[in-house]
Amino acid sequence: MAQSLRIFRSVKFNVGLVLAIVAASAIGTFLPQLSETPEKVDLFLHGNPFWGKIFQALGFFDIYHTKWFMGMLGLIAFDIVVCKLWKLPPDNGLTALPPEFDPKAIEAKLDTMEAAIRQKGMVAEFSCRAAPAEAMSAVKRMIVGSGYHLEPVVGDAEERSALVATRHRVQRWGSYVAHVALVVILAGGLIKAAFGFVEMVPVLEGRSRELQNKRGWEVFVDKFTVKYYDGTRNPKLFSSQIRVTENGKQLAEKLITVNDPLDVSGTRFYQASWGAGGMFREVILEVGEGKFLPIPQRKPTLIPGTPIKVTADVMMPNFTLTPDGRADTASLDLKNPAVRFRFDVGGKLTRSLWLLQFNPTVAFSETQDGVLVHAPDPPMKLADVEPILFSGIQVAYDPGYPLVAAGSIAWLLGTVLLFYMHRRRLWVLINPAEGGSRVLIGAWSSRGDVGFKKEFGAYVDRLKAGIGPAGSSSGPGAAFAGNLEAQS
Amino acid sequence: MMELNLFRLAAVFYTAGTAFAFVYLYAREDKWSRWMRWCLYAGAAAHVASFGFRLQAFWAIPENRFFLPINSFFGALSFLALATAVVFVIVEGRHQLGILGAFVLPWALAASWGAVWRASQMGNTEIHGLVPALQSYWINIHPAVLMVSYCIFGNAFGVGLALLIQERQVKSKRPSELCYRLPAIEDLDSLNYRLIAFGFPILTVGIIMGGIWAYGAWGRFWGWDAKETWALITALVYAAYLHMRIVAGWRGRKAVYMSMFGFTCVVFTFIGVNFLSELHGYLSNR
Repeated sequence: MAQSLRIFRSVKFNVGLVLAIVAASAIGTFLPQLSETPEKVDLFLHGNPFWGKIFQALGFFDIYHTKWFMGMLGLIAFDIVVCKLWKLPPDNGLTALPPEFDPKAIEAKLDTMEAAIRQKGMVAEFSCRAAPAEAMSAVKRMIVGSGYHLEPVVGDAEERSALVATRHRVQRWGSYVAHVALVVILAGGLIKAAFGFVEMVPVLEGRSRELQNKRGWEVFVDKFTVKYYDGTRNPKLFSSQIRVTENGKQLAEKLITVNDPLDVSGTRFYQASWGAGGMFREVILEVGEGKFLPIPQRKPTLIPGTPIKVTADVMMPNFTLTPDGRADTASLDLKNPAVRFRFDVGGKLTRSLWLLQFNPTVAFSETQDGVLVHAPDPPMKLADVEPILFSGIQVAYDPGYPLVAAGSIAWLLGTVLLFYMHRRRLWVLINPAEGGSRVLIGAWSSRGDVGFKKEFGAYVDRLKAGIGPAGSSSGPGAAFAGNLEAQS
Repeated sequence: MMELNLFRLAAVFYTAGTAFAFVYLYAREDKWSRWMRWCLYAGAAAHVASFGFRLQAFWAIPENRFFLPINSFFGALSFLALATAVVFVIVEGRHQLGILGAFVLPWALAASWGAVWRASQMGNTEIHGLVPALQSYWINIHPAVLMVSYCIFGNAFGVGLALLIQERQVKSKRPSELCYRLPAIEDLDSLNYRLIAFGFPILTVGIIMGGIWAYGAWGRFWGWDAKETWALITALVYAAYLHMRIVAGWRGRKAVYMSMFGFTCVVFTFIGVNFLSELHGYLSNR
């Protein structure tokens, strides 16, 4: 079992797996995705039949939902669990100390400890006049006063003794909390994929639509409002007064705006978009200097003082011409509204004319086969359009979100513990020596070596000042030089 | 106009500071380092004053009030330039590493002159009313936090570059004066790691904040939008770096190459992806 799991605990394997996820994720940003822009996928397939087929077979056009991509995410979650379970409980930051009732074990351990301390990146050693017991008391006072957690002193206080101390021990949990948080976030995503849904529901103002993912639920848009910044077509606000019903019984109502959805038992209704689908209440046609004629959609209206009837039937919210010269819309935004007017006399069609609201000098005549021809000096102007807008309501149900939110908080906590707290250890070994004691101190820091070197030097200086240096040791400030500094 | 003039002045000071940093690289006198620092202070002061005017104009639009004007390309580049300079001043102040100015400050320079170029292209400093999706307090947090992490990674990139040069110098049979001016490889490696370890949680928290905002605005925490995906890619590359350095013991050149790959992803996420993203296309005026 242990052998078979070894590969999943390998950091190189897992970093390779992460880089594979990186590569796959990047591919998905360069190729059109079915879930976002299916029309672009079609275009790509037509334009690149050879590569299109290969990419399609590999699932590159829906890459984030392919089994192999989901499998990689699942595998990384599995590996995190295996890695972290394997190392539980985390290193407690203390060198294991031998049972106190076995003097031989203590001696052996102290020997090992001395060798181990001398291997540390930060080591200081000095002699002092204080007896071992007195020196140990001073060391303990200084260490506890500096916020360290002290393990019981090992050894005979009158003879040889040692202690180990740590600060910010909680830091050792940072890696666990952060990694478990990732698994929790992925689990939240899995729950959403399995039980949640996102549905885009465009609803015309004054109409309603049934939800596909919630049987019997219907959303009504009673009023839709859009406001623009002065002098622009850039919206500064759009909102919908909506009602939600279940089998005709009202569940909730609210004026929703962007960033302020309606929540009905966990199903949320978002104001996501809006647009004009081509319907309008009426248009205002300027048929002469200061003469305005309101025309409802598809209702033939007599131009006063003439036998001509005009019908406004089609609107393009963002007018453009197709390559073969037909009318089209570039988007559903009301950026360049244009309306087709059909003029007839006695029921006989005489002319079809496209007028643009924001470009009154531009007009197009439409031929019988639908091709548009530039018509200079249009005889009338499209003064105004009152469109019937649709409100884009995004309905979402995400039962995994609480897990994702909890995982996110845990991730924040874990990474702060891991990277912003500096776990520090001190090992102190005191040996009796002629005229006093000999103190050996080793130190380690999980991060921030530069800062800790200064801190460690200060500890050593304070200790030496506190317990009185022997004649053979050097003065304060010289005790530490980054690496082993033996003072005999 | 006052905003742009003050901003240009800041860019000139950053240019002068960068020039002094390059002089300091080869000249032994510490006065060049001091000049660099004073230019940075002056540049940052002019920049903050410019930002004050920007804020005043931005907040004159009621819908923008109390939101940060970093929704445009100019605003984002300006914020990046200031944050890069400030992060460098903090790092330099803590470690007395003015010598690294020549490796880090070009990023502040590029961002500030990039903003000046953008303003000349657009004919203004892009102060517009916020679209409804951006009228949220999250705009003060999510992009700002992410850009602070980008600046920290920019500093780390500069440190990594210095490491590569120093390593080449050390291996060279005829090391130049630069070899004695740059910090030791181990110190540069340690600083590179510490900057990335400091920036990584900020980056990931920024991404998570974006997810929370997206949930509040559209009902989904994650949508595999190009910008989101590249931010995740950046985080994953830096996570791979941290694992290889902490667990696998990578040091020196190999680790620096990986961190530099991470910064390449940062640059692509900030600039390149704006032309791929449907939701985050604000910087490219989509």
